[in-house]
Amino acid sequence: MKKKITVNKQEIDWEENMTITRILEVMNYTFKMLVVKVDGKLIKKQDYDRFVVSAHADVKVIHLISGG
Amino acid sequence: MIKINIDGKKTEVQNGTTILSAAKKLGIDIPTLCHQPTVEAYDACRLCVVDVTDGKKTKMVTSCNYPIRKEIEVDTKSDKVIKTRKTLIEMMLSRWPNVRAIKNLAGEYEVEKPRMKHPKIDYNPNACILCGLCVNACSEIMWEDIIGFAGRGDKRKVVMPFEEHNIACVGCSTCENICPTGAIKMVEDPNSPVDGARIKKYGYNVTKEMAQLDADQCDMRGVGTAHLAEIMDDYDLLPTMNYQYGSHNDTPNISSPVFKKKYFTQGLPDGCYLGCSMACAKTAEGFELKTGPYKGEKVLVDGPEYETVGGCGSNLGIFDPEFILESNFYCDTYGLDTISYATSTAFAMECFEHGILNKERTGGLDLRFGNKEAAMEVLHQMARGEGFGVTIGQGIRRMKKIFAEEYDLTDAQIDFMQDIGMECKGMEYSEYVTKESLAQQGGYGLALKGAQHDEAWLIFMDMVNKQIPTFKDKAEALHYFPMFRTWFGLMGLCKLPWNDVEPIDNAETDEPAKVPAHLEGYVNFFSGMTGKEIDKFELIRQSERVYNFQRVFNYRLGFGTREHDAIPYRSAGPVTIKEYESRSERYDKELEEKWDYDISGKTTEEKRDYLRKMREDAYEKLCDAVYKRRGWDSNGVPTLEKMQELKMDIPEVKKVLAK
Ligand code: SF4
Ligand code: SF4
Ligand code: FES
Repeated sequence: MKKKITVNKQEIDWEENMTITRILEVMNYTFKMLVVKVDGKLIKKQDYDRFVVSAHADVKVIHLISGG
Repeated sequence: MIKINIDGKKTEVQNGTTILSAAKKLGIDIPTLCHQPTVEAYDACRLCVVDVTDGKKTKMVTSCNYPIRKEIEVDTKSDKVIKTRKTLIEMMLSRWPNVRAIKNLAGEYEVEKPRMKHPKIDYNPNACILCGLCVNACSEIMWEDIIGFAGRGDKRKVVMPFEEHNIACVGCSTCENICPTGAIKMVEDPNSPVDGARIKKYGYNVTKEMAQLDADQCDMRGVGTAHLAEIMDDYDLLPTMNYQYGSHNDTPNISSPVFKKKYFTQGLPDGCYLGCSMACAKTAEGFELKTGPYKGEKVLVDGPEYETVGGCGSNLGIFDPEFILESNFYCDTYGLDTISYATSTAFAMECFEHGILNKERTGGLDLRFGNKEAAMEVLHQMARGEGFGVTIGQGIRRMKKIFAEEYDLTDAQIDFMQDIGMECKGMEYSEYVTKESLAQQGGYGLALKGAQHDEAWLIFMDMVNKQIPTFKDKAEALHYFPMFRTWFGLMGLCKLPWNDVEPIDNAETDEPAKVPAHLEGYVNFFSGMTGKEIDKFELIRQSERVYNFQRVFNYRLGFGTREHDAIPYRSAGPVTIKEYESRSERYDKELEEKWDYDISGKTTEEKRDYLRKMREDAYEKLCDAVYKRRGWDSNGVPTLEKMQELKMDIPEVKKVLAK
């Protein structure tokens, strides 16, 4: 069975060395005002390239716009 | 990354980082007088000097503007450096003995009485020390260039042109705020606020955020709202061919880099609000028109905004930036709204493609999606009051009626028009695809004036973040945001500075979607302006009074009930087989997982119909939840108790509600 992670309540395949940047790419999340939390912990923007998520992680990518 | 060593401490920095900011990160303090992270340094005070050793050579440089490009060693406290700083402080002290910032430095560096006597000694504690911060702030933050230096040597000073008050100064007070000595004082507060300082403090925070964060957030100053075109396409939300789809391969042709590179010419604040540093409106100068009464002339186009790009571009199936600019210009010139023109024309185009219209009925116009000549001719006809443009110009609600009455249509065709005619309460939809966000369907359908997103834009919260999964959550959002945003209307304020730039720590607050720091700012704005203390709850209350009164007003005129909150099905889900099949994976999954519907052996038609039943039912349930949250009855009419609670139970209201 392939390992999974949850991104905004949606399951996607987990990859070895999966960074936040990679997750945003897989999800096609191109909007810039984001808040990223992995298992409840806030990940800062400067760490998107470095922080590696483990399998089964619960990732939240909150898009901060209630405007438009 | 580049390795450096500052005072024996080692670190790595990005190419181009200044020594000052690298030192700051290491907790090493370097004195500055003319440096601020938001603006270019004027290199005026030289207090920030440090020794830089590169190989064998050592030289003294100003750290605030020295970019680190290779491995270097830095000494911020060498004898030579300290001596230089002392001399500089002594010279400044001799000229401005009472300026607090200089006195503090003198204390820190143990400079006592200056040995020299300055010929132009100035005892004013708020004397200008010629740091240049105000000059650069006015130019870089505000893009105004109102103030500058004049004179040389002892005569050097900060002035407005010709040393006269300059009417182009927008009174933003950025210069006043950035000045380290208090030399600049605003003399006039044009709106006579009760507590101007309180308002300025908030305003300056936003200005600072714009200067520091905008380029990495929404780039409102660079491209304005036009950046949304590519974002919406990425999220399948950009209306394409009358909202059938949410993205298209040709979107890059009409995305913001194209406008920025080829068309936008004025990097100036637009002046729609004095002193606004967001300056989101953009213009394209020297644009040559290809059609209409001004054909061949070069004009200035004010825009386009996102809505115009989505409406006149993708939603008409026209992926041509020049068509967008031309329709933008002519809509402005004719006094038409680009959204209504575009959404109405998109409806007519889909009717044409489905045989409800034909060339005979349109007076020869070939209204297929993507036909820019025809779409432009519609616009000119609307303005001239001629031809089929007159019909389209009446909007979708009337078009549906006219087509049904004048042409021999089948019942299915009449139903189809109902499903794809993107209007609610007679107003055309603005440019977002709402199919996958129930909350946003409510955002359009439950807005008082018709299908506008200015009451609530919840698509990301709902569809992407999945923050408001239940009916109750959605209803709460459809209470809070419309009330909050109504407040901007009540105050005559623009809402973009609320959340098109956000404080750097907004993410860590309890309710990031509300942007708490800015909400607090609006509370301060109100209290500073009127002298009446309110809190964030009273702010919502103020809107609720007006909002409910408006709903009662609608009700009195025969609207403002449930039936008028109904939305066209295109807003909630796929109308045609083609639409369903274009996103069948998504819809199939929803049927199976959310609605427990066994799709095996089912035709697309059956699946589409079942999905429709479910989604239409969900919309009705959403209305129930929202009416309840807003204090309305099940028909969507405000209850008398609610009006009493809001102290809006005035006789006229009571009379209307007693009906
Ligand atoms: S108030 Fe604003 S526009 Fe006027 S001089 Fe100061 S920074 Fe420039
Ligand atoms: S007025 Fe203030 S900010 Fe401007 S140069 Fe003088 S001291 Fe600096
Ligand atoms: S702070 Fe660097 S020159 Fe003034």
